Amino acid sequence: MASKKQMIELTVNGVHREGLAEPRRTLADFLRDDLGLTGTHLGCEHGVCGACTVLVNGEAVRSCLMFAVQANEQEVTTIEGLAAGGKLHPVQAAFWECHGMQCGFCTPGFVMSVYAFLKENPDPREEEIRPALSGNLCRCTGYQNIVDAVRLASEKMQAAASEPVLVTEQAV
Amino acid sequence: MAVSGSVIGNYVGASVKRVEDPRFLTGQGRYIDDIMLPNMAYAAFLRSPYPHARITVDASEARALPGVMAVFTAADLAGVVNPILVDASLPGAKPQPHTALASDKVRFVGDPIAIVVAESRYVAEDAVDLIQVDYDPLPPVPNMEVALDPASTPLYEEVGDNIAYHDTFTYGDVDAAFSSADRVITETFRQHRYINVPMETRGSVATYDTATGELTYYAGTQAHNATRFFLGAQLNLPGHRIRVIAPDIGGAFGLKFGVYREDMLVAAAAIKTGRPVKWIEDRRENLTAGGHAREETLTLDAAVKSDGTILGLKVKMTLDAGAYQVMPLNPALFTMIVRLVLPGPYRFQNYAFDATVVTTNKAPYVAYRGPWAVETWVREGMADIIAKELGLDPVEVRRKNIVTKEEQPYKSAVGIAIDRVSARETLERAVELADIPRFREEQQRLRAEGRLVGFGLATFIEPAPGGADYMAMLGAGAKEVATVRIEPTGHVTVYTAQVPHGQSHETTLAQIVATELGVPFEHIKVVHGDTQMGPFTLSGTGGSRAATMASGAALFASREVKKQVLQIAGAMLEASPDDLELANSMISVRGVPQKAIPLAQIAMLVYLAPGHLPPGSPFELVGTFAYDGGEGGWAQATHCCWVEIDPQTGKVDITRYLVVEDCGTMINPAVVEGQVRGGTAQGIGGVLYEHAIYDENAQFLTSTFMDYLVPTAMEIPPIEIEHLETPPISPVNFRGVGEGGAICAPPAIINAISDALGVKITQQPLPPTRILELMGAIPAD
Amino acid sequence: MKPAPFDYFAPTSVDEVRDLLAQYGDDAKILAGGQSLVPVMALRLAQPSVVIDINHVHELDYIRADAHGLAIGAITRHRAVERSTLVREKAPLLSAGVEWIGHPQIRNRATVGGSLAHADPAAELPALAAALEATFTVTHASGTKRTLKADDFFVSYLTTALAADDLLSDIYFPALPAGAGWSFVEVARRHGDFALVGVAAIVGLDGAGNCSDVRVALFGVAPTAVRSPRAEQALLGQQPGEQAIAAAAAEVAGDIEPPADVHASSAYRIYVATNLVRRALTEAAQRAQ
Repeated sequence: MASKKQMIELTVNGVHREGLAEPRRTLADFLRDDLGLTGTHLGCEHGVCGACTVLVNGEAVRSCLMFAVQANEQEVTTIEGLAAGGKLHPVQAAFWECHGMQCGFCTPGFVMSVYAFLKENPDPREEEIRPALSGNLCRCTGYQNIVDAVRLASEKMQAAASEPVLVTEQAV
Repeated sequence: MAVSGSVIGNYVGASVKRVEDPRFLTGQGRYIDDIMLPNMAYAAFLRSPYPHARITVDASEARALPGVMAVFTAADLAGVVNPILVDASLPGAKPQPHTALASDKVRFVGDPIAIVVAESRYVAEDAVDLIQVDYDPLPPVPNMEVALDPASTPLYEEVGDNIAYHDTFTYGDVDAAFSSADRVITETFRQHRYINVPMETRGSVATYDTATGELTYYAGTQAHNATRFFLGAQLNLPGHRIRVIAPDIGGAFGLKFGVYREDMLVAAAAIKTGRPVKWIEDRRENLTAGGHAREETLTLDAAVKSDGTILGLKVKMTLDAGAYQVMPLNPALFTMIVRLVLPGPYRFQNYAFDATVVTTNKAPYVAYRGPWAVETWVREGMADIIAKELGLDPVEVRRKNIVTKEEQPYKSAVGIAIDRVSARETLERAVELADIPRFREEQQRLRAEGRLVGFGLATFIEPAPGGADYMAMLGAGAKEVATVRIEPTGHVTVYTAQVPHGQSHETTLAQIVATELGVPFEHIKVVHGDTQMGPFTLSGTGGSRAATMASGAALFASREVKKQVLQIAGAMLEASPDDLELANSMISVRGVPQKAIPLAQIAMLVYLAPGHLPPGSPFELVGTFAYDGGEGGWAQATHCCWVEIDPQTGKVDITRYLVVEDCGTMINPAVVEGQVRGGTAQGIGGVLYEHAIYDENAQFLTSTFMDYLVPTAMEIPPIEIEHLETPPISPVNFRGVGEGGAICAPPAIINAISDALGVKITQQPLPPTRILELMGAIPAD
Repeated sequence: MKPAPFDYFAPTSVDEVRDLLAQYGDDAKILAGGQSLVPVMALRLAQPSVVIDINHVHELDYIRADAHGLAIGAITRHRAVERSTLVREKAPLLSAGVEWIGHPQIRNRATVGGSLAHADPAAELPALAAALEATFTVTHASGTKRTLKADDFFVSYLTTALAADDLLSDIYFPALPAGAGWSFVEVARRHGDFALVGVAAIVGLDGAGNCSDVRVALFGVAPTAVRSPRAEQALLGQQPGEQAIAAAAAEVAGDIEPPADVHASSAYRIYVATNLVRRALTEAAQRAQ
């Protein structure tokens, strides 16, 4: 029956993973509960808050609005895949330096969205930053330090001779 | 590790990078939904789609669904979960006994009727859809006006009406004040209903070990000891066989303080099914049934002199508490806090307060970041209205009424000591920075071009945590305990009663202890959230107490253990403890640096080779201190808001926002500023975007994030902050700052909008439709 | 908020989609970007027993320009439209409007066909389609195709002319006429939200500088995206001066029936629609040559 669990094979953070999932199981739930990657969070399950943001084939998406079966044979990057060999990615480092989180729940979603944004727009104008953040909700910070973190991350990434090797290299 | 502005070894005052962040940044935080226990089952609730109805329930089809362990209704849990009765001992309060699951009637949209336990949340929700309920609707009580009508259908038949509380209070000589007034100005302010909306919803995992008879309850709770205490009472479990563990928590803002019906039900489900049970509230549940905040209407009569002096104030307050009271706090308590704090830093002594709490078919009232905030709005809104009525400058009205430094200590109208309160100083500094005369010129010029700009300000004080007299009036006033233990390796563990959920206590408490003990910041670990270890506190984290209470407890506990260390070191170095200093984990004789011992060596001796120490030496290096709050402390600020309103669309743009705040000594300035900005953002959200709406039939209309609008980065402006620091008179000069932004922002914004439109505003919220209505551009519905 | 169970198919060709529609049409929902459908399923407001995922029907993922306009396949992502130089050349109005759709994460998945088939009257794309006079190719399960104009495609609130066994497969956006000016203006509660009121306008001028082509499409103000014939007629043949534009904008009220909801009143939407039409026509006229 086509509602029965299906085998899914996909690459997550550069690693081949597989599992069984009912078609209705969301990608978010599959990553969290089946693959144990609980860094991706659920804040609304209806596509508004952005806490569930992951990259699918290099693009930032709301994983609560995809079914796990749709990620079959795709490449997914989660927050757990950003730091390499214990070294924080410049986006993560920037959030830390700028006090860009308080409860931390929205943070993985923001970091993934910012990572994707800076990949496409490495040197954003000031007025481009807040619109790029508007797909993620934060209730603790009032956003100002997150804006600062984006600016700092952009500076860090441009200044760095080479980025730390990411566990997944995504072509934009 | 970034440290700025610190003296070596003194971490207080430094914006130290947070200890919490690495795990959050790498997705390794451990929030309640990340907890996976073997054999875990998942719960979902059937919730009423009717606001008021009698019900009969048939769960047989649901129980038969494969993958379902159990479906419990109220009848199934009689004797397992006791009826709930929130303390109603306050004079004027009426008890509202109810059951954890609705038994014969439902009282609001979202009222839980049954709990399903299944192999997955997916299956649990499938089963929920199979539960048959017959609803026999009753007339709804959708708002305060209906609730106040004695003819309205009582939600609680035994109460007889929908008034949950009423009482009156008088201070000073109100009649004299009013008869000697030049003017009496009367306004009714309507604060709307909104929702805490932390990014993480509520949730818990309950597991009951039949062999030990022990319930372990993991919960996103900001009051773990209260949860333990009341769960024990509600489930008839021995108090020592309950362990509550609060993991990382994704925000709360007061929502996660209560001991909810869901807490009792999830625990009961684990006990009855013999499986660990996880319940994660989904967002629709959270917005509909998690609890709502702030819906209050206040009528103020102000007796004033023509020079703007307020001689006396009469206040009639009605609070819409919804359909259920949440354990353990009776919502009447919040009217009390409003009453006590409303005079703020103002001088008037003649004060009458009439407080009513009504019961309606709405979600339960919960505390939200400064739950008494309406007092600042009505006072600061009234100050501007008085100014307008009397033809005075709003700043002058405040100067006429706000207590100066020279008058302090000053007893407020309700008898609370106002001391070392710098509200007036924050106002003066804000006025200085705002350059209002220049703004007025620009405002005139722009008005001629058809542009609407406005400026507004508001000044507030909040008990953070307040003095001993305030705490005694509230019936609070428990001391806060902390334990500081130096480990055998010379590292330090701090046990706090706090349950942080964004407040950075793992960092700020480490800053304090590191400073006191002269150890590197990285050598300190702060332990929190587990009732099995750590001090008892009923209040947990909230109420802007932690900066003073938790910090003070940790500071003095550090000094206790430091005494023990210095005593041993003194004997070993043949010096008086008074001549020793600690820095960088070394104890040395002042001025003789070569006479030094590492802290680790002392710790090793104490724990592993006590025979080498003189008799009477401590056998462990632990300091515990119960801190009473010292002088207590008030936090204060003045918020200034500049707006421009588009007359064609009614959209409000906040063009500049300034906060001048004083929370005493800042432990970590970045943390302080983060709290101010986060609170202010919620205040902006509340005024312009957020509204929990019920229709005239008490049907709930804003149950998703498409309807309930939380501001994004585009809606929150940069917020400038200037700090004043009332200098210390004791080692603990840290006041709470968590709630102020949410309290003071709404009146600043509303006063600015009122100034821009030239229209008096006494009602929130102010979405674009309302702005155009206030402008007279469109008719009101 | 978990969806109810469903049977799932992931066809890789239009022919396969047709077969599935023939077999399951009445019980099926087509899943494209999922940004509208999945939330509704999570809330269990929709509980299709069959979901046909067309994200692998790559033949429907294209943007092609010809002499007269742009052919866009149904599963083309909004992000592709946003980034497309072809679209920017031929129909800059479309480029401008697509940027207003939600947020980047939504635009990475949401599709042109999906948005049009969902037909939310407060969404940007249906109004853009109306303004540009797009035509919609509907492929039936049997294989027959029909082409509809926007007027006929959008029927009512969240309702199109698509039957249960139809697939919206291709959309054709005629290019902006040479020299025509355009404007896209929207008012929403927050950045990225559905519109309270929005306007997509096109103004073409003849040799004498009179308006020879006036198109005013609105969203958020009726059960579907709508054109305003009253506003358009009022400005046709006129010089697009301030008064003429204001007079035309004032006519818009007669062509809209705005809802009242938790976000705005009807009176608000009428008032703002008038203002936005005025702004849009002014900007479009300025851009026109």
